[in-house]
Amino acid sequence: MTAERHAHNHDSEHLAIYAQDVHKVYRRGVTRAPVLRGVDLAVERGRCVYLAGPSGSGKTTLLSILGCILTPDEGRVRLFDQDITTLDETGRIALRRNRIGFVFQRFHLIRGLTALGNVCVPLVLRGAKPKAAHQRGMVLLEAVGLADKAHEHPRNLSTGQCQRVALARALVGDPDLVLADEPTASLDAENGQEVMGLLRRLTTQEGKTAVVVTHDQRIFHFADHLFRLENGRIIEAEGPQKSNLQVLPITSQVLPTTSQVAAASSQVVATTGDS
Amino acid sequence: MWSIALQTLVADRGKLLTALVGVVFSIVLVNVQGGLFLGFINKAGLLADCGEADVWVGHKNMYNVDFPQDIPRRWVDRVRAIPGVKRAEPYIIGTTNTTLPSGGFELVVVVGVDPESLLGNAWNVVEGRPESILKPDGVIVDEYDLPKLEYPKMGEVREVGGRRARVVGLSHGIKSFLVTPYVFTTYERAATYLGKPPSVCSYYLVQLQPGADADDVCAGIRRQVPELDAFPRHVYSRISAKYWLTRSGLGISFGAATVIGLFVGLVMVAQTLYALVLDRLTEFGTLKAIGATERQIYSILFLQATIMALVGSLIGLALAAAIQHFYSTPIALILIPSWLSLGSCALVLVICLIASLLPYLRIRKIDPVMVLQ
Repeated sequence: MTAERHAHNHDSEHLAIYAQDVHKVYRRGVTRAPVLRGVDLAVERGRCVYLAGPSGSGKTTLLSILGCILTPDEGRVRLFDQDITTLDETGRIALRRNRIGFVFQRFHLIRGLTALGNVCVPLVLRGAKPKAAHQRGMVLLEAVGLADKAHEHPRNLSTGQCQRVALARALVGDPDLVLADEPTASLDAENGQEVMGLLRRLTTQEGKTAVVVTHDQRIFHFADHLFRLENGRIIEAEGPQKSNLQVLPITSQVLPTTSQVAAASSQVVATTGDS
Repeated sequence: MWSIALQTLVADRGKLLTALVGVVFSIVLVNVQGGLFLGFINKAGLLADCGEADVWVGHKNMYNVDFPQDIPRRWVDRVRAIPGVKRAEPYIIGTTNTTLPSGGFELVVVVGVDPESLLGNAWNVVEGRPESILKPDGVIVDEYDLPKLEYPKMGEVREVGGRRARVVGLSHGIKSFLVTPYVFTTYERAATYLGKPPSVCSYYLVQLQPGADADDVCAGIRRQVPELDAFPRHVYSRISAKYWLTRSGLGISFGAATVIGLFVGLVMVAQTLYALVLDRLTEFGTLKAIGATERQIYSILFLQATIMALVGSLIGLALAAAIQHFYSTPIALILIPSWLSLGSCALVLVICLIASLLPYLRIRKIDPVMVLQ
């Protein structure tokens, strides 16, 4: 299915992510290192997709762009109804704070805060009242099975528990999109399965869209769709990974030509712009 | 933000203690050093501050309580005629030598007061009575000067300016800015000790009628007796202090020590905040990644700096008060007025906030993408 057909078949209201011809080059002095070389990606709302590929394939860079942390050099990216490539820094920060939840490979919990304090950080950044933030934080800690660890500091938690706290932190602000960067890389197999199961269950329950960067083939079965990247391009799209999930052919065709993407782009942009 | 700032600060107790030591050091130094300075400089105008005169009248352009020039005693009547003057009495101050039992001599400042009113006499008399100076050869010295005078006993006779002087009283804490002891006695006897004719004096001490304005009376005196100058007592005290400040470099030396102390405190706070931030770059990167604004990031540092300043100031003030309580004596007087305490706290707060800018500049450079690498 071409990107053009996809654009016709799927109303932009149903799309959480639509990225077109995304390029990114890292520059260090005179050295240029192209990391993304024309990525097209569409993800429907409420889906859980995986970005897989070897190191240096560009998956974390793509995740950073989707998370409004990096900006692409070329191409356009829409998150829900917003073209994030036109946002200024303030707009990107606001989008990260209000609509995106992050799960990091190394958890990145704040050492000085308790599990509950860490979970509440996104709410504090939004200016929530402490009592309301704590109540909501406890709900999420219960959801990840750590209510009894609410007042423990990260140093007293296992790696699996830390990642579950990080997952609660990502979800506490009720984001529309959850981005996870190698969430199981620091965990053993059992904890990895547990955390991914939780992530999948909670995002599905709440109708969140999730994008997960991973190498870990043991957790591929949690994904609705899997995109493989290599040399800055999506070279393969697979889905569904689970038989009970609806098949959604949401990627552009494998390795579309530049002209195909360009042709599709104009129509998709027009369609989403009208919506 | 308070909870994030406070909890992350308290979590690293070692660094927090280091910063607090810096703040406490600054506060104690400013208060004790400043208190010593104020106590020291306070002595420059001690006679004016603590005497009972409302206005001091002396030679034109008088500049220091302890260094007067002779003025005619008879002009005191011209001063008494000024509206608002209730009482004006001659007062004499001068330096001479006293003999010591060991055979040596000690320079003393002789203060002669009007025998009827005793205006300007010794206060805080702890042995004998203030009016004891009316006894034959009676003088009052300060108990803190006893070592210099080789411990004269009550009733013991010494020579002051080659004349008999009998110790009839001891005061507590009347120490001159100079190291020379004060010797209080009657006006006439002081004049003989100083070898001055009875027709001259050093000042006229003036007490005002109720409701009279000191500045107006001073202006009236200057107008009626243009050869004289007149100042309210606290003004003359300040003029005397200024004399020492400007001519001795005292202010510079005390000030330099205080500034160095503040600088050391600043460096310690800045270094600690910076080290705290360096240890937590990833955490700040995480905060940025999940949507913290620059303002929110700075507010964390701002609050941490404020917490350090406030807690350190409270501990520092308590320590300074303890030092004042245990170590302040009339010889090394530590005066810590409330404006000095509050001013030092405000200064340290400003310093801490400035110190927080340095780590903030480092945080500004953090790219949140670091947490995804």
